[in-house]
Amino acid sequence: MTSTRRSRGSGSQGGFALVLAAAVFIVSLFLWTEARADTPAPPEAGLVRLSEMNESALLIRTVDAGLYIPAPLVATDIALNIAGPIVRATVTQRFENPSDAWVEGIYVFPLPADAGVDRLRMQVGDRFIEGEIHERRQARRIYEEARANGQRASLLEQERPNMFTTSVANIGPGETIVVQIEYQDVARLADGTFELRVPLAITPRYIPADAPQFVAEGANTPAAVPDAHRITPPLMHPDDEPANALRLPVSITARLQPGFEPGQIASLYHATLVERLGDGDARISLADGPVPANRDFVLTWRPAEEQRPSAALFTQTLNGETYLLAQVLPPASLGSDAPRQARETVFVIDNSGSMAGSSMRQAKRALLSALDRMQPGDRFNVIRFDNTMEQVFPAPVDATRENLDRARRFVRGLDANGGTEMLPAMQAALVDATPEDTARVRQVVFLTDGAIGNEGALFAAIHDGLGRSRLFPVGIGSAPNTYFMSRAARAGRGTFTHIGDVSEVAGAMDALFAALERPVMTDLDALFPEGALSEIWPAPLPDLYYGEPVLMTARLDSPASSMRLEGRMGETLWQEDLSLSDARPANGIATLWARNRIRAIEELRYQGASVERIDAEVLQTALDFHLVSRLTSLVAVDVTPARPADEVLTARDVPLMVPHGWDFDAVMNRSPERQHRAALDPALIDRLAPGAPPAAAGDGRAREGLALPATATPREWLILLGALLALSGLAWRVAQRRQPAC
Amino acid sequence: MLSLPALAKAASLAFIATGTALVGQGVWIGAKAEIAQVLLSRAWARAIDGETAPTPWPWADTWPVARLSVPALGEHAIVLAEAGGEALAFGPSLLTASAVPGEAGISVIAAHRDTHFRFLQHVEPGQTVIIERTDAPPLAFRVTGSEIVEAARSGIETGNGGPARLALVTCWPFDAVTPGPLRYVVWAEPVGTTT
Repeated sequence: MTSTRRSRGSGSQGGFALVLAAAVFIVSLFLWTEARADTPAPPEAGLVRLSEMNESALLIRTVDAGLYIPAPLVATDIALNIAGPIVRATVTQRFENPSDAWVEGIYVFPLPADAGVDRLRMQVGDRFIEGEIHERRQARRIYEEARANGQRASLLEQERPNMFTTSVANIGPGETIVVQIEYQDVARLADGTFELRVPLAITPRYIPADAPQFVAEGANTPAAVPDAHRITPPLMHPDDEPANALRLPVSITARLQPGFEPGQIASLYHATLVERLGDGDARISLADGPVPANRDFVLTWRPAEEQRPSAALFTQTLNGETYLLAQVLPPASLGSDAPRQARETVFVIDNSGSMAGSSMRQAKRALLSALDRMQPGDRFNVIRFDNTMEQVFPAPVDATRENLDRARRFVRGLDANGGTEMLPAMQAALVDATPEDTARVRQVVFLTDGAIGNEGALFAAIHDGLGRSRLFPVGIGSAPNTYFMSRAARAGRGTFTHIGDVSEVAGAMDALFAALERPVMTDLDALFPEGALSEIWPAPLPDLYYGEPVLMTARLDSPASSMRLEGRMGETLWQEDLSLSDARPANGIATLWARNRIRAIEELRYQGASVERIDAEVLQTALDFHLVSRLTSLVAVDVTPARPADEVLTARDVPLMVPHGWDFDAVMNRSPERQHRAALDPALIDRLAPGAPPAAAGDGRAREGLALPATATPREWLILLGALLALSGLAWRVAQRRQPAC
Repeated sequence: MLSLPALAKAASLAFIATGTALVGQGVWIGAKAEIAQVLLSRAWARAIDGETAPTPWPWADTWPVARLSVPALGEHAIVLAEAGGEALAFGPSLLTASAVPGEAGISVIAAHRDTHFRFLQHVEPGQTVIIERTDAPPLAFRVTGSEIVEAARSGIETGNGGPARLALVTCWPFDAVTPGPLRYVVWAEPVGTTT
């Protein structure tokens, strides 16, 4: 009995030793592979990569290269000053460094695709820093030198025309940083209603696995998405985000001076309070206080009376030159009696994973309603794509009842998942089997959220394959990639429609089809008196669809008294003379002109212009007009001293030093309970990378610098592993000895 | 054919043997670092006497160039020329690409975090680091701060001149078991000079 028990006991001891030894081996193997692994492991909870951000956040560098901790955000305020269609937006954000270390923060945020970003200011503790424009690489050098010298510095860079990052160096322990960015924008006029969009969320982008190479003339063959690591999408669906994820509370106020008595003033997705101030002025604020930054803010307004605003002219004189903004709506009666023309329409629907949820429902509803608009004599086809592609019919077919029913069944059965390989679908949609068919117009309606990173390859495909087709992107979801869509619409000579909510589907698709089915205004031109004109942007003026205004900016060498717009709609000629003496003076017109110029020059890339010339022109324009662009950044290094040398700074001095025009009330003195002060997980504080404190002037760290040798021996590890191994072997031996022979 | 108990016996013996060998190897790394410093101090004495590049043992591929000490911590070590890859096993090494301590530019001295530079984690700003050279009077440096950098992108620019500065480098974090890409840098500047 005893021996049996002992035998069992020693057997299990031996087994234990064996298991222990095996475990040691496995653990050592695991650690070995981990140390060797080149592929980045998924970041642990609380840490993120820059590429994974789908909303604005201040990121603090950690000691793990490439991983960041999102800093708790206290408040964001967006102040919109709207005069006519011209918008000056001031975005003020207040952050706090929650750690005991000097840190560097990187702040990722969206801005409107066509906005001109021309000002960066920052308050760090009691310091004010004003941004200067520099060539991008030089700006980065200046920033890095300041960072190494322990100076507080900030750098505003453009990642995409609608996506920016601000880096903030040397944020002291417990310090508060306020970043303020200003941009110039213009409200869109469509169907008599002005619309202003303020993006708050960043659409996660899909990077194609084997993205085809796009070769720009004169460039080395860059990968389709050379900066994929900066803009790649999150792996997590928003619905799956942890409940304690930090959200960005945003407050928005707008001062509206439309230049006419406004009728309805509405925000599409947020509850707002509208306060009428008389003389047509109004003040708009969020009804329920700050909102999370998970969907774009859209404000619309229209005149009270049915007289539609037909023309709005603004001028600005800067450095002896006159800049002009004209927004002119052709009369609604024009071309309305023209007969409907038969069409060949190719519908493309994105059913990739990023569309899952309400976006897919909206897209399906939109497509089904579009199919209902097809009439006998039309031809159509439906293409769906994720990382695969499928056409309902091999080629466009007649819009018969059977064909339409088959397409409807196909659309209803669609599910959203997979990647977003848009290029093959775009190319297939642009294939025109009957290029000489003048009886039908050819249109491609493209429903997507635009969650892609290889925009360049797509623009090239659109430019090369367009032919007589016209491209009408329909943006789906709360935060579509409007930069891609509106640019694709321009390249495809169509219009961009946005659907943000299921309730908008019917209205938006009606408006789109009204545009599709009516004749288009072509050959638009603006004429100025001899010798007055210098440059008009965009050039040439794009075709106009129904309800769209002419929107142009011009630089005039000498003040002119009048201008003429002319265009052609079918057989009808349209002409309108405008008196420039009626133009109202406004600020920011030159900025808008410069931004249009940069945009137009950038688009020449897809028409074969040389890269060097594009770069030179863009750089010069951006530097002249203080604009952030692909090639220029704003950098701020302590130009405003924290305090005069002969004065002792006390805490009370700080409010006096707030520069004129800073509206800190909105962010600094908000009622405390509104301030969302999420604490930083204490476990993460150890991971913060210490920045260079002002005392320790390290050399520029981001330059490559000297490669340091490996300075760790496996000594302790060897001793530990060896001891464990030897001990387990010993224990096993002892167990064997005790085991009696049978 | 081996019976199961015999197999188990052989395996357990193999475990003991391998384990002992590993322990021995680990101890040897530590011992080598200690013994080398003893031999090095003898070579250092010869260097002070004027011998050029005295090797501490006949087959050594390195020689002492300086003596580093941190009086506040009671730590000292002979600094080697980084002539061969093995130097780090025996002592802190002055990287060849960097400046001679006290001369214009940055001097980078690296050592293992678990042997000679284990004390680096206790070095604090304000403490003094003494560097003795064979050809000049001892130099005092004051620690100004520390930072953590990536090994491949240290940002430490050598060969550009500038004020004399000292960078003491070791692996980071100190308690890690496996080698990593991060380095801990302690910065110091000459006492009495203003930058």
